[in-house]
Amino acid sequence: MFSPEGALDKNMKVLVVDDFSTMRRIVKNLLRDLGFTNISEADDGSTALPMLKEGSFDFVVTDWNMPGMQGIDLLKAIRADANLSHIPVLLITAEAKKEQIVMAAQAGVNGYIVKPFTAATLNAKLDKIFERLG
Amino acid sequence: MSVDTGVHVSLEEAKLLVEYLETGQQEKADELITEIQNPMNSELFAEIGKLTRQLHDSLNNFQLDSRLNDLATADIPDAKERLNYVITRTEEAANKTMDAVESIFPVVDTIQKQIKAVNPLWQKLMHNKLDLPEFKSLCIDIDILLKTTDKESVRMHDLMTDVLMAQDFQDLTGQVIRKVIDLVREVEDSLIGMLTAFGLSSEGSSQPSKPKVGDNLVEGPIVNAAQRDDVVADQDDVDDLLSSLGF
Repeated sequence: MFSPEGALDKNMKVLVVDDFSTMRRIVKNLLRDLGFTNISEADDGSTALPMLKEGSFDFVVTDWNMPGMQGIDLLKAIRADANLSHIPVLLITAEAKKEQIVMAAQAGVNGYIVKPFTAATLNAKLDKIFERLG
Repeated sequence: MSVDTGVHVSLEEAKLLVEYLETGQQEKADELITEIQNPMNSELFAEIGKLTRQLHDSLNNFQLDSRLNDLATADIPDAKERLNYVITRTEEAANKTMDAVESIFPVVDTIQKQIKAVNPLWQKLMHNKLDLPEFKSLCIDIDILLKTTDKESVRMHDLMTDVLMAQDFQDLTGQVIRKVIDLVREVEDSLIGMLTAFGLSSEGSSQPSKPKVGDNLVEGPIVNAAQRDDVVADQDDVDDLLSSLGF
């Protein structure tokens, strides 16, 4: 994930998970704008998990409220799998109850963005996540 | 052998019993015996019978109200279709807008690149340090830049118009949603009517019940954050909450 110079490697493999294709498109565009080039998509936690288990992803951006497997449950599954638990996870969601935010933090989420959000917020949270891991 | 069940037959009852039997009214005689033995039960049966009749009549009244039938068989399926229409139209609008935006980004980038390419020689010119061959080269580059910018700004203008027009979904979806709100109001009134008719109205409870949440407290976007104390209002609230807990 980090190139030899120590800078954030924007070639890292990112998985964007949301059941609304328009939201996936927005996030993908914002990430591209920030220089990320290797972005894959999934339309549900249940389709995302097999993709994660199979291909070496470095970062997950996911919605919470999805019909098959919710983002919070995807997060828990990632943290519970020894091969995946290291992957940073960013939640971008309309779920805004304080209890839920705490739930996500306790489940090991690396960042929590509430919708509607701005490109600046996404950028700031990404910096924070990868600076913390560096 | 006598068993004291606490039940005592009266003379009137006994006489009535004999009368029934003498006139061949076996059913009535049996009913009377049952009643004598279980006065409570027969009262209970009578009450249940009365309630059943009331329920039957009320249900019949509802069936006669064809509005309820229409709601169930026509209006609610229609409402579902309408809401699906809203999803479709908003998705189309979002994609149309993003198509236009994604087309504009590279155009803007190209112009920026060309300006940056022209700038070094231009700066030299501004400082009177340009020689003739460089000057000729600069003129060509600037000519290209002007032609490109001219063409692309026309294109950008058209794309911006596309973005503007894509917003028409709001008017259409707004009208559709209004219709669904009217329908929901009607269903709400009918439900309250039904509850009241069956004596199940909740006048006793002072608090309106909270909307249903799903697994993991899932509720979707909060539309009335100002009236609630269990939700965050914006990203700053989220960040404050998390840092206050040490995350």
